Amino acid sequence: MQNKIERYIPLIVTVGQVVIFPYYIVWLKEVSFSYTLFAWLFATFSFAAAWGYRFFQSRGEKPRSFITSVYVAMGVVYIVVGYWKLLIEYLPYVALMTQIVLGFLQGYFRAWHTKQRSYHVHAINHYLIVGVIMIALSFMKVVSPSIFLTVFGIILCMCGIWEVVRRKKFRNSC
Amino acid sequence: MKKITKFMKKPWFLGILVFAMAIVVIWNIPIEKRKYGFSQSGLATDYTGLLPERIEKVVNVHNRNELQRIVQEANKKGKHISIAGLQHSQGGHTYYKDGIVLDMRRFNRILEVNEQAKTVRVESGASWEDVQEAVTPYGLALQVTQSQSIFTIGGSLSVNAHGRDIRFGPMAETVREMTVLTPTGEIKHLTRDDSEEWMTYILGGYGLFGVILDVTLNLTENEVYTIHTEEIETGKYESYLHRVLENQNIAMHYARISVAPGTFLDEMYVIDYNRTRKQAKITSLKEEEGVRVSKFALDLGRKGGKLEDLFWESQRLYINSIDGKTITRNNAMRSESTFMEFTTPGRVEVLQEFFIPVDSYEEYMKSLKDLLPHNDQDEDFKVHNITVRYAAKDHMTSLPYAKEDMLGLVVLIQHGLKEKEIAHAKTMIQKWTDVTLQYGGTYYLPYYPYQTKEQFKESYPNWKNFKEQKAERDPNGVFVNLFYDHYMK
Ligand SMILES: Cc1cc2nc3c(=O)[nH]c(=O)nc-3n(C[C@H](O)[C@H](O)[C@H](O)COP(=O)(O)OP(=O)(O)OC[C@H]3O[C@@H](n4cnc5c(N)ncnc54)[C@H](O)[C@@H]3O)c2cc1C
Repeated sequence: MQNKIERYIPLIVTVGQVVIFPYYIVWLKEVSFSYTLFAWLFATFSFAAAWGYRFFQSRGEKPRSFITSVYVAMGVVYIVVGYWKLLIEYLPYVALMTQIVLGFLQGYFRAWHTKQRSYHVHAINHYLIVGVIMIALSFMKVVSPSIFLTVFGIILCMCGIWEVVRRKKFRNSC
Repeated sequence: MKKITKFMKKPWFLGILVFAMAIVVIWNIPIEKRKYGFSQSGLATDYTGLLPERIEKVVNVHNRNELQRIVQEANKKGKHISIAGLQHSQGGHTYYKDGIVLDMRRFNRILEVNEQAKTVRVESGASWEDVQEAVTPYGLALQVTQSQSIFTIGGSLSVNAHGRDIRFGPMAETVREMTVLTPTGEIKHLTRDDSEEWMTYILGGYGLFGVILDVTLNLTENEVYTIHTEEIETGKYESYLHRVLENQNIAMHYARISVAPGTFLDEMYVIDYNRTRKQAKITSLKEEEGVRVSKFALDLGRKGGKLEDLFWESQRLYINSIDGKTITRNNAMRSESTFMEFTTPGRVEVLQEFFIPVDSYEEYMKSLKDLLPHNDQDEDFKVHNITVRYAAKDHMTSLPYAKEDMLGLVVLIQHGLKEKEIAHAKTMIQKWTDVTLQYGGTYYLPYYPYQTKEQFKESYPNWKNFKEQKAERDPNGVFVNLFYDHYMK
């Protein structure tokens, strides 16, 4: 059981991130007003991801404890984006913040994930699952991207809690 | 190379990179975030978004024959047409319920710049900015424009706009010739001595007497001016202005009145543009400058109370900083506008302009002091800015706001959008209009019509003639808009 959870949570997170991507893009495009700004917001994301990746690497071999917070933080960002009805005045600034935070967390997560035993199995599963989900979604009438973003945010938070509980149990059983 | 790659992988370097990128992005987030105009669902609004209305369709105008066909068909089928430039008017002047809107923005070619005759011929959908770009390389400049260059020629002439120039009279007077499409679908070329007096009604005609197709405007030299600024008491402005008007060395002028609680309507900053008689050598035009700083300062002022005092002080610093500097005529006619952007939900900022005979200014200001709250921090109806401009007597148009030499007080007002708040704003502006009328003044018509029909009739006693001519020249009532409905139906 322990092993299964350990395997599945990162898979849920990676698959979810790719599936949610088109919806996130739609939101980001809407709040960025121009293509230039849209592109720059993505560049910021990329730099932040590189930073997160390096940050993980530079911490050496003890970083497992952080990964639950990473799940929860990513979840909170998606919930904020999806759920909060923000004023048009503040939207681009919020988009910038989310790009930095998400980029950093995703970079960090990926660096951690590559160090896991299950990483290579995940890679193949991940591509297959994403393909199937995207086909399934294409048949759905999408009400609004914000619903998907919020749901994914909640799933991520649940993953974080799940991971904490799992680890507590694991410690108690030792 | 290896060293560089290694360096670039340092976490602190990447952190700094993200921070720098964030600053670049923040700096490039546009200030103007509001979308107004025509929506895909067929709803139209103008600059304030206050009067949404469903329209039949928008026609992007590209050529005059297509336009003529649309107007002739509308006459036959009993359809309504409105004309839209850049839609900065604020009272539904550019659309009508279930009507066709002619979007003129792409009808914007510069047809000819005549360096010898100092004229420019231009299609009416062009903006002042387009014209400035075309004439600046010839060392030429416009005679009269608004303070900003964000309006179309057609839209500006249809309201007979005014700005900082004090020498060339009303904008209508700068038109040498024009081509128009009459309400019955005839294309006419007009000169100043046209016996049918079409110009009288089309200029300052609010899009009700047909479409302006192209105009030939008189130009002047793009001279370099030296800016002179000064702080004076409101009570001394009248005599100051008389000195300015007598001094032929001053080409342009405007002033600003304090609305900050500490100096409410007591202090003014005056700005004059003194001639140097040197033609500008540079051919480039200035872009919007210091927009973020200005917006930040205005946002402080919007908070009212002590912060509004601080805003007035910050303007003093600005005014002092430009004293003695030089500027070209074209650049003096293209002030910044984006910093005025205001997007707080549930509230709106509108413009109003009141005209007052020059010699009544001082007494008028005293009356205004009794009418308006000096500190509007806790009020719903807030006055953020008053700018003063000179508007010379208009002999030409049918609904003249400058019945004699006037001072125009442009007022930036903020109020809430709840029914009660709009009603309160209406009451305040109607009272303000009453005071203006008592002093023989008028108010400007391109803005939201808070005023009553009676106030309109008193301000524009020639309205009956305007209406009769409208019925005669547009027998099928093709050209209409919400402004016409409000005041003249
Ligand atoms: C921020 C701001 C600052 C301003 N500053 C000034 C100022 O300094 N001085 C001043 O005088 N005014 C000023 N105004 C008012 C402005 O000049 C008018 O609203 C002007 O009409 C705007 O031009 P537009 O191209 O947006 O016209 P629109 O709002 O699109 O149209 C205005 C009127 O012109 C008619 N029209 C447009 N094109 C044509 C055409 N081709 N043929 C016939 N009719 C046509 C329309 O039907 C409508 O009735 C200001 C307004 C704003 C919002």
